[in-house]
Amino acid sequence: MIQHHPDESLLLEYSAGNLDTAQALCLRLHLDVCSRCRCQVDMLDSVGAMLLQEEKSSALSNDLFDRILTRIETLPEDEPKPKVTTDPLRKLVGDLNALPWKRQLVNVSVYDLSEQFPDQPGQVVLQKISAGGKAPVHTHRGTETTVVVQGGFTDNRGVFEAGDFVVLGQQDVHKPIALHGEDCVTLSILSAPVRLTGPLGRLLNPFIR
Amino acid sequence: MASARDTNARQEGCKDPWSKLLERVGQQRDREAYRSLYEHFGPQIKYYALSNGMAHHAEELVQEVMISVWRRACLYDWRKAAASTWIFTIARNQRIDMLRKMQRSSAEMAVETEDLWQIPGDNENEPVTALHRILAERRVRESLRSLPEEQVTVLAKVYMESKSHQMVADELQIPLGTVKSRVRLALNKLKVILRDQAV
Repeated sequence: MIQHHPDESLLLEYSAGNLDTAQALCLRLHLDVCSRCRCQVDMLDSVGAMLLQEEKSSALSNDLFDRILTRIETLPEDEPKPKVTTDPLRKLVGDLNALPWKRQLVNVSVYDLSEQFPDQPGQVVLQKISAGGKAPVHTHRGTETTVVVQGGFTDNRGVFEAGDFVVLGQQDVHKPIALHGEDCVTLSILSAPVRLTGPLGRLLNPFIR
Repeated sequence: MASARDTNARQEGCKDPWSKLLERVGQQRDREAYRSLYEHFGPQIKYYALSNGMAHHAEELVQEVMISVWRRACLYDWRKAAASTWIFTIARNQRIDMLRKMQRSSAEMAVETEDLWQIPGDNENEPVTALHRILAERRVRESLRSLPEEQVTVLAKVYMESKSHQMVADELQIPLGTVKSRVRLALNKLKVILRDQAV
């Protein structure tokens, strides 16, 4: 059961098509398992359509329709088929277990995806906490947008499971513990590096990343 | 209890004229219907491109959207979205694609636009909820007209000019929090925000 949702501003910016690819991917992974937010996005899409109709319009060149018809003549015959959506993250990275994870701390590994998202100024990472493992206490210098991809974790805000979506800001101190049974994998966009705040963390800060 | 046929007939009665035209394009490849859609939606799409700062590519966007409409019309299912909504999502996706190409990031971009922003009806797994959708859309349309100007302005800047909330705040010289609260008030009134009810 999905407990943690993106706020309405993010859903709106998603529906308007204003998010960068990494943000849209996080939203998509949430929407794929959250019928409530999907329903809101459907309605937002119709708000977009209505605004398009209410706004002004611009006259088209006289020959534009003929140019379109000419192009239609040369279209290949193949008909597009409805597709059963494949998970865009799996499509991008394949099997999560087979990734070359880089161990960062005892229970924490990361896989950096930033290169795949040239339009995202922050860092895009998959993070893995081993089943039942604790991640060190940390805060964020910027914001961290996270969607749970596999397994789950708990922190002082509650339980987060696959599909749950959370945005953490600077003031949030965060000490996630992975649920038992399965490694917890999250996809995160970090607008600034994570800052460890525990006693050990302060020592480790210069060494991670 | 209404029979399935009655329900179908009632739902058919709710179908808007643009959806009927779009079906004719999809099923019969009807060029007159296609022209009517072009004449109605084409100028809106051009305006959408212009307000998005695509002055040099506005008709190119119209062309790409209309060709996509022709190719995909056979997939259109009026029960999943009104024609105007379906065409809006195609226009939005084509705009994203064109911008990606212009920024030459598409080559390195590993995820396709359509995997991130879906067109209603593309996913076979989606349930069909015609009446529910039609009622919700009617409600949105009616309440959009009664929204205060300042709330519509914010929504229009987000949708028509692809502005982030921060950019809208900067432009209108109001705090970001005010933009967000206008969005929240508007979406509440449009009943787009669903409280913790079962859906």
